[in-house]
Amino acid sequence: MVASSSTSELDRLDEVLWQIPAAARADTRVPCRIFADETLLEAIAGDASLEQLQNVATLPGVVEAAIAMPDIHQGYGFPVGGVAAMELPDGVVSPGGVGYDINCGVRLLALPLSATELGRRRQALVHEISRSVPAGAGRHGGLELSRAELDVVLRDGARALVARGVGPEQDVELTESGGRLSGAAPGAVSERAHARGAGQLGTVGAGNHFVELQRVEHVFDPSVAAVFGLVEGQLAVLIHTGSRGLGHQVCTDHVRAMDAAGERYGFVLPDRQLACAPASSPEGREYLGAMAAAANFAFANRHAIADAVRRAIAAVLGNGVASETRQIYDVAHNIAKVERHAGREVLVHRKGATRAFPAGSRDLPAGYRDVGQPVFIPGSMGTASFVLVGEPGSLERSFGSTCHGAGRAMSRTQARKRITGAELRRQLEAQGIVVRCPSSKGLAEEAPFAYKDVERVVEVVERAGLARRVARLVPLGVVKG
Amino acid sequence: MGYQFEEHGGEVEISLSAPSEAGVFVAALEAFAALATDDESGQHCVEEVALVGSDRALLLVDWLNELVVLAELRRFVPEQVETLELLDDGLRAIVQGHRGAPNPLVKAATLSNLRLEREGGTWHGRVVVDV
Repeated sequence: MVASSSTSELDRLDEVLWQIPAAARADTRVPCRIFADETLLEAIAGDASLEQLQNVATLPGVVEAAIAMPDIHQGYGFPVGGVAAMELPDGVVSPGGVGYDINCGVRLLALPLSATELGRRRQALVHEISRSVPAGAGRHGGLELSRAELDVVLRDGARALVARGVGPEQDVELTESGGRLSGAAPGAVSERAHARGAGQLGTVGAGNHFVELQRVEHVFDPSVAAVFGLVEGQLAVLIHTGSRGLGHQVCTDHVRAMDAAGERYGFVLPDRQLACAPASSPEGREYLGAMAAAANFAFANRHAIADAVRRAIAAVLGNGVASETRQIYDVAHNIAKVERHAGREVLVHRKGATRAFPAGSRDLPAGYRDVGQPVFIPGSMGTASFVLVGEPGSLERSFGSTCHGAGRAMSRTQARKRITGAELRRQLEAQGIVVRCPSSKGLAEEAPFAYKDVERVVEVVERAGLARRVARLVPLGVVKG
Repeated sequence: MGYQFEEHGGEVEISLSAPSEAGVFVAALEAFAALATDDESGQHCVEEVALVGSDRALLLVDWLNELVVLAELRRFVPEQVETLELLDDGLRAIVQGHRGAPNPLVKAATLSNLRLEREGGTWHGRVVVDV
């Protein structure tokens, strides 16, 4: 038993699964389950994430358990690294359970080239990616779309860009949900959200978002890696971003609307940020339509960035290398989706959690159906990232979900006290990692020591049977906002 | 009095204090300005803000979210409040700043653990912003 005030009620269910019983608090409807080993649990207990998880367990319609992945950390309302499924039609949807960065996610591209073959062109390639992909401040630099064109993107997602000649069709097919959530309602997206999205398509933004050039350092499962198209030594590009200002505004608008509606539905919530409404209610349907539209914007955003990355590759390595650069997959880790689990239809909120469907799932692209869904777990700056594949345990234990990253272990303030951005930049460059980041302050907040050990996080999800390791990738260069 | 960034496991928590309720809003702007500041000295400008709402804590969140949008859409880097008036049904303010390249760190102000209340002679506020 881990001794801590916030973990005093924990029961150990198995090696890597812990439970806080529903009876631990008078207002919780279901237990909380936490995937972690003892070391990660100590880190998790260091912030308010378990209390936030218990808050999620109070929500009307929540079924089975509020679930925490091993990368869980304190967020706002919902913890980051949390999964909660609500019974439909009347269980609630909570915009805070998706987060402000709707459909923040990760896309992996594999180049037909090894790091050895790249050789001394590495710096030039990272530099060209930083020139081609707008990152950081402001709304400019992305594709300029008219209001009508933007609405097509909100409705059709990444496919709308293919129709404009941006990126290949195959990328869309190798994207979660085919790069488009159904039910998108551009009309439920406010004028302000439209304004914030205009000009941001194809931009990375700031915070922990990045484009990273990587090398496949180790393959754990050669047969699955072969299906994904990955071999040791190969170059890859990992893109991490979401729906930018458009998604942020959609969340802001609908949290406010649901905060106002909560009293009407008689909800008593432990945190206002958990504002919610029945999924079947006018507020619930309106949000789900707007969320799907923002999610489609995010799919299109990563699609446009992938196109810009290919242009950078063409400029440095030639058109042949660019045209043979293949998308492995694209996954969302901030989203709510209607899915069937254990014979019932539920609305699965994944906030900082990734869908991880196993082999046999009809929701996967045909080429991956025999092995399972690719899952990408970015490490912190300077550390490894992982390609995983979904396992059957995810359907049995976590509503088809797994972790999404390393997860913070230290506040941003503490990180800035321990290192300056300039020093971190020097350390990364000393490791041979090319860094393109205009903000040294932002860099310090993302220091590797501010995060949990990603190796341990993926080991836990593997031991839990949620997903297993396919490949380990190490950074060669990073472009950040 | 003023603002302070508190320890938070993932986001940025701002605690605010002032002798008056309006002063908390001024302190919130100063905190946001510290997060959004750039290294440029662009063209000086002012922005007028008018918000509607009678829930003052929510109004504090709306105020910060308005600054997020001004930074993103108008590249407005706030520096100081020229005037700020809390009304029964909203807020009116004039903010001085400059056009520049605001740090886009803050995505939104949230309602999580939101607080705005008076204790003795001091007003206290707390807002968690998503970064």
